[in-house]
Amino acid sequence: MTRKNFLQTVAGAAAGAALSGPRQAAAAARRPRRGVSLYCYTDNFGIDTSLEDCFAEIDDLATEGQEMGLEILANGHIEGYPNPSDAWLKQWFDLLKKYRIRPVEYGHWVDSRLYKGSELDTRQSYNMLVRDIRLANRLGFTVGRTKLGVIDRPGTPTYDTLTPVTNWREFIKMALPVAEKHNFRMCPEIHAPTLLKSKMIDDYVTFIEKEKTTPWFGLNIDFGVFQNRPRAQRAGGRGGAQRPLQFSPVSDMVPLLPYVHACHAKFFEMTDDCEDPLIPYKEIVDTLIKHNWDGYLLSEYEGTDRGVGSGSFDAVRKQHVMLKRLLGEA
Amino acid sequence: MLEREVIQQRGFRNVHQGGKPAGFQVRFRLPGYRGIWLSMEEGFEVTVDGEKFSRDQVRVTVGGRSYTQDEMTKLGEIHWSTLEPAILTVSKPGGLKLGVHDVEILEYHRVSYIPYPPEGGAAPGSFGGPRIYKRRMVLVR
Repeated sequence: MTRKNFLQTVAGAAAGAALSGPRQAAAAARRPRRGVSLYCYTDNFGIDTSLEDCFAEIDDLATEGQEMGLEILANGHIEGYPNPSDAWLKQWFDLLKKYRIRPVEYGHWVDSRLYKGSELDTRQSYNMLVRDIRLANRLGFTVGRTKLGVIDRPGTPTYDTLTPVTNWREFIKMALPVAEKHNFRMCPEIHAPTLLKSKMIDDYVTFIEKEKTTPWFGLNIDFGVFQNRPRAQRAGGRGGAQRPLQFSPVSDMVPLLPYVHACHAKFFEMTDDCEDPLIPYKEIVDTLIKHNWDGYLLSEYEGTDRGVGSGSFDAVRKQHVMLKRLLGEA
Repeated sequence: MLEREVIQQRGFRNVHQGGKPAGFQVRFRLPGYRGIWLSMEEGFEVTVDGEKFSRDQVRVTVGGRSYTQDEMTKLGEIHWSTLEPAILTVSKPGGLKLGVHDVEILEYHRVSYIPYPPEGGAAPGSFGGPRIYKRRMVLVR
């Protein structure tokens, strides 16, 4: 077979796959989709890597013609935040189109400790939240990683549970109509050491069900909650603060899935075989597929070699080899 | 693009008032993954070759406007981006001598999404606590 023939055959097979029956297309659509949080490239962004470099990198992770999902951190990646210029907005949309990137999750904060010595009241919190909902919508995002302030103090029994501010229900409820109007799903991130079976999650679920917030208020699960093996200690390395692992079984995620609008595909290490040695990804992805969860898995790399050479880029690329295998894309 | 070091070499220079050196400037890039609102900033402490400058001697320029550190505590609507180093202007009549200087900057801002620090404040270097950055710098003007 000549090279030209080979390429034609490959192209034909790809077209055939794309044109397969509607049932297959529907089945394919009911799977988790892949994306990347720009958080991964924090230690390169603005130093040796531009927004366009990040987008080109993410496009490289796509299966031919596939649209990759994107998470940004509003306060980190939007030039001129919270009032980006028209020139920046134009560049934003041009780059999304050029690299086939789909804006998925917009990371934002309700900074309860904005002023020293007090916490934001409900109206102030609402105002901060709504400013971000509007901007997220302008940029095309449909999900928020809505970070709430926490109230735990050292020495209290709840120290390790990241308890949200006491008025969260009030300002989230006030913002629900704004979120609906702007097609935006507010999602606190469930992050280690929080357990999926805990008072905090019970409180969120009770609120979601009682106030019928779906889909405008839900959850983002960070897969760090499933990390069941400790990280290797590295002298002088980052993230060295070790605490006893407190993790949830993957099955605890199942009853929450109707309320989960995006997940953080957290990882700390990848082997050269493109496997995650710390977080049980096969079980996680199999569970999501089994339950027809079709939201985005957004890579979030927290390795010790971020910003060292191409560390972050290599790690994300390896994770996507793993995810493609687990999702049946490879 | 920014320099990887938090204390930026570019922009380290004396500043003049009425034709005389009145102090110096140094650019400080906010490390980490998010910008902050200026009111979250608890303050900068600058030390050069062991000489420590008080909070009142250090003004902060963000978005083209210069503030005292006390003014910053009220600025909950002014955002300081990780992409735009703040310019710290330090008052020092006579300025610094040309040549090599060891610059040290302590920076601390409140983080709402982690537990509160212990009474009396977080220890430098602790999780979410003040961080001290050092760099050997060369002043040319």
